[in-house]
Amino acid sequence: MNSERLVETFVELADTLVDDFDVIDFLHMLADRCVELLDVDAAGLLLADQKGRLQLIATSNEQARLLELFQLQNDEGPCLDAFATGARVSHADLANAGQRWPRFTAAATEMGFAAVDAVPMRLRSEVIGALNLFRNQTGELDAGALRTATALVDVATIGLLQHRSINHHQVLTEQLQAALNSRVVIEQAKGLVAERLQVDMDTAFAALRGYTRGHNLKLSRVAHEVIAGTINTTELLSAATKTKPLRR
Amino acid sequence: MVRPTTSRLTRVFGWIADKAIERDEPVSVGVLCQTAVARLDVHGAVLTMDTSGWPEVRDATDALGERLTELQVTVGEGPAVDVWHGDGPALVADLDAPSSQARWPMFAPLAVEAGAAALFALPLCVGAIRVGVLSLHRTETGHLDAAALTDSLAFAELALRLLLDEQAGRDTADSIADDVLSLHHPQVHQATGMVAAQLDVSMADAFAHLRARSFVEQTPLSGLAADVVTRRRRFDRDEERP
Repeated sequence: MNSERLVETFVELADTLVDDFDVIDFLHMLADRCVELLDVDAAGLLLADQKGRLQLIATSNEQARLLELFQLQNDEGPCLDAFATGARVSHADLANAGQRWPRFTAAATEMGFAAVDAVPMRLRSEVIGALNLFRNQTGELDAGALRTATALVDVATIGLLQHRSINHHQVLTEQLQAALNSRVVIEQAKGLVAERLQVDMDTAFAALRGYTRGHNLKLSRVAHEVIAGTINTTELLSAATKTKPLRR
Repeated sequence: MVRPTTSRLTRVFGWIADKAIERDEPVSVGVLCQTAVARLDVHGAVLTMDTSGWPEVRDATDALGERLTELQVTVGEGPAVDVWHGDGPALVADLDAPSSQARWPMFAPLAVEAGAAALFALPLCVGAIRVGVLSLHRTETGHLDAAALTDSLAFAELALRLLLDEQAGRDTADSIADDVLSLHHPQVHQATGMVAAQLDVSMADAFAHLRARSFVEQTPLSGLAADVVTRRRRFDRDEERP
């Protein structure tokens, strides 16, 4: 692992944790860095809503089938197990996971994934979500990558709480609910952009994100403004064509 | 895997249904507010909607609740105003605390003067679709404990469903158990965005069209949404009569 890049990432994440930061942007950055630093092929962060259901908040890749793979884990899969037990769940070879998670394994294998890890996000005794890592090659995640993953997950938890944690439960509820709803706003904006520009959901998301970066805005703010009509969807088109598709 | 999900919603809905029987009234957001006061260790509950750009009281269990809403409209700030414009709840255990007074310099002192000590404002929304705010207040300071907090979110979700069903002229009791809103499916929200573009309507109207279509065709909302997202189905402006 590139330790210089690792240090840069933590500095970058710490820099993000200032006033007025956007949880969704922060967690998306974290998912991207997981792919880059841990040498995995896809990463996603799921948080439990007030009903104990895992909701995807951020992912390194917005491909529809990958979103389904995260969502499926409300029924079975490593994230559900990590969430239920509070322990890390790994499967180094999905070819042998069919009995444990039949539907999850079928869907993951179909996407070309060969190994999976789920690291619980913990806040004291409470498990609030999980980081899900997918790899195209079989085998265990190495010890260094695992330590980094755990550290990134801890940073994600801190990010969710920001730094005004007096009563963690109230703050966590406020932040979690806001993050969950922001995610819904982003999905609605993706749909709007996909239809207006006649592109698929991945491209719509890339357009939103490209515009966000290009204008130094927050993703959830851009999503709101696209819906409100204060950002014109055609302006997004140039952002879409400029943005390189993310890995995998 | 046991879903705390439906069971908690069902339990809270059961409380509301019991209250409705006790009061010999149909289930409504008014009954929901009464039930929240009885179950959550709060002194009052107010449901506000925002048709004019400012919160308007739809139901209030006490005069203090009405007063708190009126104050927020008058000074133009407050937890319900923030919640309406933001994405998450505002949970204020002590309105007299320096942080509360700093956040709402005009509203907080007036709210304390009016007799409120704690205020919990919960959004009733689906992404960008804003339906209302459920506010719970106390005359003594203090947080909602973890169980009450979770129940309060269930009350908020049920209030959201009641209002959406009311707007669609439908009975919520039918939809509690099977979670027909399918709000956890990302495709439902993507489809809402696509239909908003196809019909050139707001997200709220697009969502209403989707739900109405799913109801008429007796298909699950998530299935219909998947068809829209994969472009097997389109909504046509001429076919849709709101």
